[in-house]
Amino acid sequence: MATVVVARPAARPTPRARDEEVLVWPDLVFVEFISALLFTVLLFLLSYVMNAPLLDEANANVTNDPAKAPWYLLNLQELLLHMNAALAGIVVPTVWLIILAAFPYFDRSTEGQGRWFADVNSVKNTVLSLMVGFWGTLALIIWNSGKAALWLKDWFGFSGGDTLAFLERSAALKDPSVVPWPGWSDSIPYLWFNLKILDEGPGAGVTTFQHIDLPTLLVDIGIPTGFMVGLACLLIYALWKAGWVLTRRDALITLMSGFVGAFLMLTIIGTAFRGPGQDLIWPWDLRTLEGIPGQE
Amino acid sequence: MAVEQPTQPTLGDLIYDKLFHNYVWKSIFRTGYPNTPRNQMLVVATNVFLHLHPTRIHRTHVKITHTYCLGGLTFFMFLGLTVTGILLMFYYVPSVDRAYLDIQNIQTNVQFGQLMRNMHRWMAHAMVILVFLHMLRVFYTGAYKPPREFNWVVGVVLLVLTFLLSFTGYLLPWDQLAFWAITVGTNIAGSAPVLGPKTRFWLLGGFEVGPDALIRFYTLHVIGLPLLAAIFMAVHFWRIRRDGGLARPL
Repeated sequence: MATVVVARPAARPTPRARDEEVLVWPDLVFVEFISALLFTVLLFLLSYVMNAPLLDEANANVTNDPAKAPWYLLNLQELLLHMNAALAGIVVPTVWLIILAAFPYFDRSTEGQGRWFADVNSVKNTVLSLMVGFWGTLALIIWNSGKAALWLKDWFGFSGGDTLAFLERSAALKDPSVVPWPGWSDSIPYLWFNLKILDEGPGAGVTTFQHIDLPTLLVDIGIPTGFMVGLACLLIYALWKAGWVLTRRDALITLMSGFVGAFLMLTIIGTAFRGPGQDLIWPWDLRTLEGIPGQE
Repeated sequence: MAVEQPTQPTLGDLIYDKLFHNYVWKSIFRTGYPNTPRNQMLVVATNVFLHLHPTRIHRTHVKITHTYCLGGLTFFMFLGLTVTGILLMFYYVPSVDRAYLDIQNIQTNVQFGQLMRNMHRWMAHAMVILVFLHMLRVFYTGAYKPPREFNWVVGVVLLVLTFLLSFTGYLLPWDQLAFWAITVGTNIAGSAPVLGPKTRFWLLGGFEVGPDALIRFYTLHVIGLPLLAAIFMAVHFWRIRRDGGLARPL
């Protein structure tokens, strides 16, 4: 006899006791109305005191320096300074959005929902991961900008010289005087035919699709990927060993908070600390016009 | 023993009766004035806008600190941007010859034009910030957990659409800020392996930011992306209801 098996949903909305409920009209509608009103007034006031920026008419022959993307993309623009363009501009955000969308399929427990920081360790996990993401990103930016080496030299008279140039910035690793790359390493063929659809020509990326430039691949893709993936894994592993990460939810809180910290730092640096030539400068050295730092 | 006598209707009662118990009012609103629990529930259930809500919700959900109204405010920004955007569209032509002059015209010659443009600009920034904060609220309250998995995914799509809406609007003033921001932004898109340069070409309608890019960004900004966002928002709101309202402890 055939048996029919009906799949049961993982969780269902639970019935609620009527005495725990309030009417949407007026209780919720009132809250919504007040918050909408408050924001309308605030935005009217902001619009009254602060004008939207309008610079000179667009001119392809006059380059803005620094040319900056909208502020919410400045985190990606900041990443571009430290790694391969395709990795920073496309791969990292795409992979992160996929990971973000997959959160509920990774953490399927129904416990701890509907309350802020419901899990035992969530507050300390959040604060610590946020700080690690925030200050860790700053440390990496300062190192890769060469500023750290500059300050070491200015303040302590320390200079690494050529052999320790990688302490100044990762790009130094591409230099044959720092790492003795063999002559063939910058052009390793791996396709024996010319696949035209893949080859976008010069400037398309670190490699054409017929050859691998190993030093560039390592420095522009390998090291940044290692830092991004490795540090995230290391943080989760360390907190697991410390007994702070016990569940998948804890791991996600660590990952998300670390991301938020890094995202904030990248956005802040890209917005307020990048001047002409994308050099690191202090915000007060940026020329400002109508409240938009770095734009003239 | 004194017998309670009916009192004479006051002026207020008469006005109330004339306003809410007449043929025209009842043709628009099927329910009476929402001053009884029955009418309060009916007004939510029978109104096309309010019926996004259930008639009753758990008492913890009206606490401001539960959600900070972030999702609702994001939607409110979307509505405000639609209104101010339509007003700006009356005066704006997306051609390289006119775009910049039209913006100047809006700011100087149009009644409340500067205010409308400012509102549109600051609301757009507010929407990006609010949608991000809303995502954080949902995450840190564990509201993505079953049975709300799919609605979280819809939310991620809406986050991307919000960024795209803001990004496409950035070019429209056709000033140096807009031109170079979009040049940088589309260069980021163009850096993708294999499909990047083709995506950039498709976005810009050419190899650089020009008239074709302006019309494409305009069309995406005023029709394509808002339509897509509205569809996903409808699904998002509908799923909140279907998945049992806001998340709360089981």
